[in-house]
Amino acid sequence: MNLLAFDWALLIEKLVLIAIIITISLVVAMYATYGERKVAAWMQDRVGPNRAGPFGILQPLADGMKLFFKEEIIPNSSNKFLFILGPCLAMLTAMMTSAIIPWGSELRIGDRVISLQIADINIGILYVFGVVSMGVYGIMIGGWASNNKFSLMAALRGASQVISYELAMGISLIALLMLTGSLSLKTITEQQMAPGHYWNVLYQPLGFLIFFVCALAECNRAPFDLSEAESELNMGYHQEYSSMKLGFFLFSEYINMFISSVIMATLFFGGYDIPFIDESKYNPNLMAWLGVGALMVKALIFIFVFMWIRWTLPRFRYDQLMNLGWKALIPLALINMVITAVVILKYFN
Amino acid sequence: MGILQFLFWLLSAVALTGAIMVLASKNPVHSVLWLIVVFFAISGHYVLLNAQFLAVVNLIVYAGAIMVLFLFVIMLMNLNTVIETRKNLWMKAAGIISGGILFLIMISVVRSSADMVSRTAQLKEGSIGLIETLGKVLFTQYVVPFEISSVLFLSAMVGAVVIGKKD
Amino acid sequence: MNAIILSAIWGVVLMFCSVLIKNKGVYRHIAALGLLVILAGNIHETYHGSFFNIDTHEMLRFSRFGLFFNTILLAATLLYVLLSGRDVEKAGGYVAEYFTLIFFVLCGASILTSFNTLLMLFIGIEILSIPLYILTGSDKRNLRSNEAALKYFLMGAFSTGILLMGIALVYGGTGSFMLEVPRSAIMGGYKGVSFLEVTGLLFLLVAMSFKVSAAPFHFWTPDVYDGAPSVFTSFMATIVKAAAFAAFLKLFEARVGDTSAAVDWKLLLSIIIVSTLLIGNVTAVFQQSVKRMLAYSSIAQAGFMLFAVFSLNDVAKEGLLLYATAYSLATIGVFAVLIKMKDVTFEGFNGLARKNPVLAATTTICLLSLAGIPLTAGFFAKFSMLSAVIKTGTYTWLVVVAVLFAAVSAYYYFRVIQAMYFKEGDAQTEEVTGGFKVLLIAVAALVILFGVQPQALLNWFYF
Repeated sequence: MNLLAFDWALLIEKLVLIAIIITISLVVAMYATYGERKVAAWMQDRVGPNRAGPFGILQPLADGMKLFFKEEIIPNSSNKFLFILGPCLAMLTAMMTSAIIPWGSELRIGDRVISLQIADINIGILYVFGVVSMGVYGIMIGGWASNNKFSLMAALRGASQVISYELAMGISLIALLMLTGSLSLKTITEQQMAPGHYWNVLYQPLGFLIFFVCALAECNRAPFDLSEAESELNMGYHQEYSSMKLGFFLFSEYINMFISSVIMATLFFGGYDIPFIDESKYNPNLMAWLGVGALMVKALIFIFVFMWIRWTLPRFRYDQLMNLGWKALIPLALINMVITAVVILKYFN
Repeated sequence: MGILQFLFWLLSAVALTGAIMVLASKNPVHSVLWLIVVFFAISGHYVLLNAQFLAVVNLIVYAGAIMVLFLFVIMLMNLNTVIETRKNLWMKAAGIISGGILFLIMISVVRSSADMVSRTAQLKEGSIGLIETLGKVLFTQYVVPFEISSVLFLSAMVGAVVIGKKD
Repeated sequence: MNAIILSAIWGVVLMFCSVLIKNKGVYRHIAALGLLVILAGNIHETYHGSFFNIDTHEMLRFSRFGLFFNTILLAATLLYVLLSGRDVEKAGGYVAEYFTLIFFVLCGASILTSFNTLLMLFIGIEILSIPLYILTGSDKRNLRSNEAALKYFLMGAFSTGILLMGIALVYGGTGSFMLEVPRSAIMGGYKGVSFLEVTGLLFLLVAMSFKVSAAPFHFWTPDVYDGAPSVFTSFMATIVKAAAFAAFLKLFEARVGDTSAAVDWKLLLSIIIVSTLLIGNVTAVFQQSVKRMLAYSSIAQAGFMLFAVFSLNDVAKEGLLLYATAYSLATIGVFAVLIKMKDVTFEGFNGLARKNPVLAATTTICLLSLAGIPLTAGFFAKFSMLSAVIKTGTYTWLVVVAVLFAAVSAYYYFRVIQAMYFKEGDAQTEEVTGGFKVLLIAVAALVILFGVQPQALLNWFYF
C-alpha cells in the first residue's frame, strides 16, 4: 500500500501552515470591516463603532455573531443547490489565492527548514490569475440562482467587469515579468531583496498604477463597485442572501482585498523585504518573523489606501467603467509593455 | 497503486462523469457548470504530466473566460425554463446508431493499436508543458504557425465587429 | 510565402482604408490593385523565389503546383472583384471590411496550397472558414442570411472539431504533425500501420469532405449558398472550394499511400463520389431557383473534383488545375449575371436573350462549360479527371457513372439556356455597364480558349 507512502511530516507542516494562513486571512478580513468603518467615520468626522469593547474593538465579533444567528432564508423560486454554491465558491476562491504567496523567508527549527509559503510553483502568478478568474463564478452563480432580475444584472456587471480588467492587469504584469524572467512569486521577491536591486515599483511605476486600478476593479471595490450599486440595483448580486451566506460574500470581498494587497506588495514592493536592511547579516529566524511583519505592514497600508479611495471617490457609471478599462487601461498597458520590451532588448540584452 | 495512479483514475472518473452530465443535464446552466468541472479534471491531468503552464492556461482561458461568456449568453437568453425540442424518432435512432458505431471504432482502435500497448504516459516528469520550454518552442520551431494565427484572430475580430456593430 | 504575407498585409491595409477613406467606391479599386500586387508577387515567387527569406522549419513547402494554384486562385479573385466588386458594396454597410475578409480568405487559401504540417492545415482551414461565416451573414437585415450564417458557423465548428480530433489521432499514431513522416521515425520504430493514424485520417476525410461539400456532409451547402448574399456565394463556391480541394489533394497524396494496407481509401472515396454526384445532380433537377440550383450543381461539381483525390496521380493534379480554372471562371461568370437579375428563379431568366443578348450569350457559354460540353474549358477539365481515374486502372465503372451524371447535369443547365432563348418573358436586370459586358465577354473568351487549347494553361504550369 504505497498510497500512504509520502512525507507525512511535510504534509502536517503544510496543513498547519494552511490553517494559520487561513486564520490570519480571516482575522485580517474581520478587522478590515472594522477598519473600514473606522476609516469612513474618520473621513466623515464621526466616531465610528465604539460600543463593543474598548474603541469598539469587539465590533467584528458582534457583527459575525449577528450574521450567524440570523434566520436563513432561501427563496422559493431559487435554484437551491446553486444558491448555496455561489457564496461557497466566492469564499473558496478568495482563500485559494493565498497558497502561493511567500509570506516570509524560511524558519529554521532544529534541522528542519520550513518555508513560509504553501507551494512555490513555477507558474505562481498565473495561478493567481486562474483562481481570480474562477472567482467570477461565485458572483455569477449566486446572482443567477437567486432568480432576481437585480441580482442577475449585478452579477453580469460584476463578471464582465472582472473579465475586462483582467486583460489590462495581465498585460501590465507581462511588462513586470519581462523584467523578472520568472513567474514564481518567491523568485520575484528574492530578486527585489538582492543587493543592488530596487523594488519593482521603481522600474514599473506605470505598470503598478495600472495593476492597482485593475485590482480595485477585480475586488469590486469602490469606485468600481458597480455590482453593488445600491442606487440602481438595490443590494446587487447578494440581494436575496441572508445570514452567513451573505456574510460569506461580504467576507470574501475583504479577503480578496487583503490578498490583492499582499500580491501588490509582493510584486511591486519587495514582498517580505525590509527596506534598507540587508537581511542576510542577521539571525535568519528573527528576520523571517520581521519579514512577515514587513509584508503585513505593506498590506495594511494598501488596505488603507483601498478604503481611502472608497470614501473619497464617487462611483463610476457603467459605460465609464468599461471605457476606462478597454480604451484607457489596455492601451496604456500595451504601451508600457512595448516600451519595457524595447528598453530590455536595447540596453539589457 | 501509487498516489499518482490513484489521482489519474480519480481525475478520469471526474472528467467522464462531468462530460456525461454536460449532455444529460436538462438545465443549460448546469451543463455549463459541469463543463467547468471537466476542464478542472483535465487541468488536473496536465498537472500530473508536469505541464503546469498548460494546466493553468486551460483554466484561465476555458474555465475562466470562455465559460463565463457561455454563462452570460445562457443567463441572458433565460433558457432556464426547460424547452424540450421535439425530435424526430428516426433522427434519434440514426444519431444513436452512428454515434454508437463511432464509439465502437474508437474503442477498437485503442484496443488494437499494437503501437500503443505497453506505453505509459510520463508522469511528473518531462518539461514539455513548462512555460520556459513552451515559450522557446513557440518562438523558434513553431514561430510560423504562431505568427500566422494572428491573421486568424484578426479576421475573427474584424468579423465580430462587423456582425456586432449597430448599423 | 509572398501570397500569404502580402494578402495578410493587404487585408490590414483595407482595414485602415475603411477608417481613412470614406468614399465606398474606392475600396474595390484598392482591392483590385492589391490583387494585382499579390499576383505579381506570387508569379515572381514561382520563377525567382520569394521576397521574404523566412525559415519556416518545414511547416510550409512551396511547390510549383501550390504556387500555380495560388496564381489561379488570385487571378480568379481578381476577375471576381472586377466583375462583382460593385455588388459587394451593396451587400452591407462594411464594404472595406468585406474586402479585408476576402483578403484574409486568400491568405488562408495560400496556406492551404503550401502547408506541410497538419498544424498549418488547421490554421489554413480556419482562416479560410471564419471570414466566410461573417460574409455569409453580412446581410444583417435578412433573416435567411442570418440563418445561413448561423448554420454554416455551427456546422463548420463541428467539422473543425472533427478535423482537430483527426489531427490529434494522427499525431498520436505517428508522433509528428508533418505531412510526410518517414516510416522509420514513427513512434518506437513500430513497423505496421498505426490504427490511430488510420482513424485520424478517416476523421480528416470527413472534415475535408465537409469543407468541399461532398455528400453526405453537404447538408449545409444549399442553405448557405442560397442564404448568403449572391456576391459572396460566388466567392465561396469558386475560390474557397478550389482552395479546399488543393488542401484535400495535398493531404491525401502525402498520407494515403502508407495506410492503404489498412483501409481501402479508393472504395471509401468512390462511395463519397457516387453519392455526391447522385445527390448534387438529382436534387439540382428539381430546383425552382437558379441560385439554389447552382448550389446543388456546386455539390455535383465537387463530386467531379473528388476524382482528383481519388486517383492521386499526375494527370489528376493537372486535372484539378484545369478543373479549378474552368469551374471558377464559369461559376464567377454565371453568378455575376445572376447578381444582376431581379428575379433569380428560372422564370426570371425568361427572354433574357432578347433583352440583353450579351449577358445571355456569355451565361450560355459559362453554363455549357459547367455542363462539360466540348469546346469549353469544362469539357477538358472533366475529361482529364476521368482519364486520371482510368489511369489508376481500378474502379473504372466510376467513369460510366460520372458520364451519366454529367448528362443529367446538362438537363438543368440547359433549362436556364432554354429560359433565356426560347421562352417569352420580360427578364428584369439591374443596370449593366459597358465595362461589365466587356469583362463578361473576356470570361467567356477564356472559357472557350481553355476549351480549345487547355495546353495554354498547363504549359504555364510546366514552364
